[in-house]
Amino acid sequence: MGSQKRIAKELAELTESAPEGITVKLADESNLYIWNVYMEGPENSPYQNGTFHLTLTLPTEYPFKPPTVSFRTKIYHPNVTNDDKGSMCLGMLRADEWKPSSRLAAVLQFARQLLAEPMPDDAVEGRIAEQFKGDFARYEEVAREWTRKYAVRG
Amino acid sequence: MSSVSVSASASPSSNLLPSSPSPLPSSDSRSRPLRRLSQLRAYTQLHFSSPPPQQPQQQQQQQPSVASSSSSSTNSQRVSRRHTLGSRVSWFSAASTGPDSLTSTVGTTTRAPCPESEHQSTFARYSSVFSPSYRGLELDLRSQPSPTESSNSPLRNETATATGNQTQEIMARPRGSSQAVEARPNGEVSSAGNIQPGALESPDPVVSESPCTSSPRPKQKATIRFFPHQDSHASSRPSLPFIPISRTLPSDSCVIRVGRYSERDGTPVANPTEPSDAPVGFKSKVVSRKHCEFMYLNGQWHVKDVGSSSGTFLNHMRLSQPNIASRLYTIKDGDIVQLGIDFRGGEEMIFRCVRIRIECNRSWQQQPNEFNKNTENLIKNLGKGDTADYSGCRECSICLGSVLRPYQCLFMAACAHVWHYKCVSRLIHTPDYPMFQCPNCRAYTDLSAEVDDTNDFEEQEESKSASAEDKPEALEPARSETHTPQQDPNAITQPSRTSGDERHPETRLPVEAGLAANIENMRLQDLDASDDNSSQPPAPTSNPDSVPSNANNEVPGWQSLTQSPSSAQTRPAQLRAETPVRSESSDENPLTPLNDSGPSYPQNATPPTES
Repeated sequence: MGSQKRIAKELAELTESAPEGITVKLADESNLYIWNVYMEGPENSPYQNGTFHLTLTLPTEYPFKPPTVSFRTKIYHPNVTNDDKGSMCLGMLRADEWKPSSRLAAVLQFARQLLAEPMPDDAVEGRIAEQFKGDFARYEEVAREWTRKYAVRG
Repeated sequence: MSSVSVSASASPSSNLLPSSPSPLPSSDSRSRPLRRLSQLRAYTQLHFSSPPPQQPQQQQQQQPSVASSSSSSTNSQRVSRRHTLGSRVSWFSAASTGPDSLTSTVGTTTRAPCPESEHQSTFARYSSVFSPSYRGLELDLRSQPSPTESSNSPLRNETATATGNQTQEIMARPRGSSQAVEARPNGEVSSAGNIQPGALESPDPVVSESPCTSSPRPKQKATIRFFPHQDSHASSRPSLPFIPISRTLPSDSCVIRVGRYSERDGTPVANPTEPSDAPVGFKSKVVSRKHCEFMYLNGQWHVKDVGSSSGTFLNHMRLSQPNIASRLYTIKDGDIVQLGIDFRGGEEMIFRCVRIRIECNRSWQQQPNEFNKNTENLIKNLGKGDTADYSGCRECSICLGSVLRPYQCLFMAACAHVWHYKCVSRLIHTPDYPMFQCPNCRAYTDLSAEVDDTNDFEEQEESKSASAEDKPEALEPARSETHTPQQDPNAITQPSRTSGDERHPETRLPVEAGLAANIENMRLQDLDASDDNSSQPPAPTSNPDSVPSNANNEVPGWQSLTQSPSSAQTRPAQLRAETPVRSESSDENPLTPLNDSGPSYPQNATPPTES
C-alpha cells in the first residue's frame, strides 16, 4: 500500500512537531487509518479550555480520497453535526475540493481554525448558524456551556 | 504556390490586420473610461436594463447626443450591454469621463464600445459559422449572427478591406481543421479579388502556438479552457459531459461564441493546437443556438449572455433574463459557468445543462518562471548525484518522498509539478485521459497535445517580444513580423495536406498521426458501427506535425486502454469522438444514441482526483 508510507510520514511529522493545540495519536497502533486527535479549543472562542476529541479517518485510497473528520466530543458549532457522528463540514475535505497534495496537518489546522471562526454560511447545523448570525451572545453562551459540560476534563 | 510568395504576400496582409482598428482609435480610448465607472453600476443598470424592444426610444432619451447616422448600429451594440444584473461589473473599458458625463460617454462609446472585440471578431466569426459561399461583403452584413454583433459604421468600411478580413479569418481558423479547408478556396473567390492564395495560407504560422503544450510560452495569448464541472452537491444532477475545450485567441479582439452545437459551425475542434476562436457547441437542447460569448478585454476574460432563452449562470448567478443579452461579466480561473437549466429532470443527456469550469489566466504557468526553471534544473541534475543547486520542490506531493533520487520514474506535468510516476499514475489513467489534472495546482494538461519543438522560434520571439511593449496591441505587429519567417515550413506542408478532402479530418490523418488515433478509431467502430467516419475527432493527434509526439503519447494511451475495465476502456475514445463531432442535436442524428451512454458516465467526469 503506497498510502501507508505517506500516512506514516505525515503521522511522524505531526507527532514530532504538532501544530499548536493539536495532539495526534493512532487509535490503534496497528491501524494507520484511524487517528485520534485531541484539539484544544482556541483562545478567545467559546471553546476555550475545552479539549475536543476528534477522529480522523483516512480512506484506503488516501491521498487520492479525502479523509473525514468527526468530533467525538459534543460541540455546539454550526459546522459540526449535532448528532452522535459529529461530522465536520470542511470545505477542503469535499471530494471535489480535495487535492492529494493537501496535508493532514493543514486539515487539522483548518479544523481548529473553524472552531475559532465558524462559517455559518457553510453550515451543517442551520439552527446554530442562524443563531450565530442573529444572536451571537446566545450562541456563545450555549457553546461555552457545552464546552464546559462535555469538553472540559476533570 | 511557392513558400516564398506566400510569405511575401502574407506579411503585408497580416500586418494590415493589427492596424485595421486604427480607423477607430478614438473609440478604443473612449471605451476605456467606462471601466472606471463601475461605481455607477446602479445608474447604468437603470438605464441598460430595459428590454430590447424599447431600445430606440430609450436610447434617444438617454443619449440624444448620439448621431443619427450611427444610431441603428448603436442600438444593436447596446443590446449586448444591457442588464447589469450582478455585482461583477467590468465594463468594457473606459477612459476618463466622470460620472456625470456618463450619458455622453455612453453615447460616444456606443458606436464602438469595444471595437476590437466586436468588429474583428465578427469577421472571424463568419469564417467558422457561415458556409464559405456566403462570404463576401454584402453577405457579411446580411449574415450578422445577432444584433449584438452587428457592425458599426466604421466596421462596415473596414469590411471593404477584405484582404485583412480574410487574413483574419484564416488566422482564426485552426490549421488542420476542415473549416480551414473550406475557407481557403472561398477566401480566394470572395475576397475582393486582391488576395493571393498564398496570402491565405500565410497567417497560419502566426497561429502556430498551441494552447496546451507543455513547453513554456514566451508570449501570452489569451487562452481559455472549458472543463466539464459536476456540482459537488449530491442533490444536483450530473451536467452534460463534454471533453475539455481549449481556445487560444488568435488576437485579443476575437470572441468565442458558445451555443448549441450546429452543423453549420463545421466540425468543432475541441483542442486546436493553434489559436482559434472557433465557436464552441454543446449538444444540449437547453443551450440556445446563440447562448453566450467569451471575450478577452483588457487582460481579463469576460462572459456575456447573448440572449439565451434558458440563461447563462456565472457561479449560480443568472446573467440576464430570458432572451435578453447581458452585459459583460469578468470571469476568473475556477469560475463555473452554467448554460441553461436541466429540462425534464435532465434525465436525457440532450436536456442537461452544461456546467463549465473555466480555466483562464494561467498563461504565467506556461511560461518560464522560477518554478518550472527549477524543475528543469531538477531534471538536468537527476542522476548526477549533485542536487545541491536545486532549489525547487523536491517532494512528490503524493507520497511525500523525494523526487531527487535517480533511476526513479518521474512524471512532470505541464505545470512543472513532478511526481513519481508510480504515485501519480492513477491520476493519469483515468476515464478523463488524455486530460490530466494536476493534483497540486489543478491545472489541466492535455496529455495527447502536440509536442512543441519550436524552442528556437520561441527564443527568437522571446527576445523580440521582450523588446516590444507589453500591450497586446503594441505586440501585434511585432508578432506578425516574428512569425513571418517561420511560416514557410507550414505553408508548404499545408496545402498538400488539406486540399481536396473536405469534412473528414480522419481522412487527412497522416500516416504519422499514429497508433493512438488508430486505436481510437477501432474502438469507435466496435462501439457503434453506424457512427462512421465522421466520428473521428480532429483530436490533437491528427496534426501531422506530431510525429515526435506520438512516441510519447501512445504509451500512456495504450496502457489506459488495456489496463482499465472495459467500460473505462472505451470511454476516452468515445468521449473524444463524441464531443468534437457533436452534430446537429436533432434526435434522428446517428450520434445521438451515443449520448445515451451519458447517464452511466461517472459523476467524477471532471477531476481525476475523484476517481
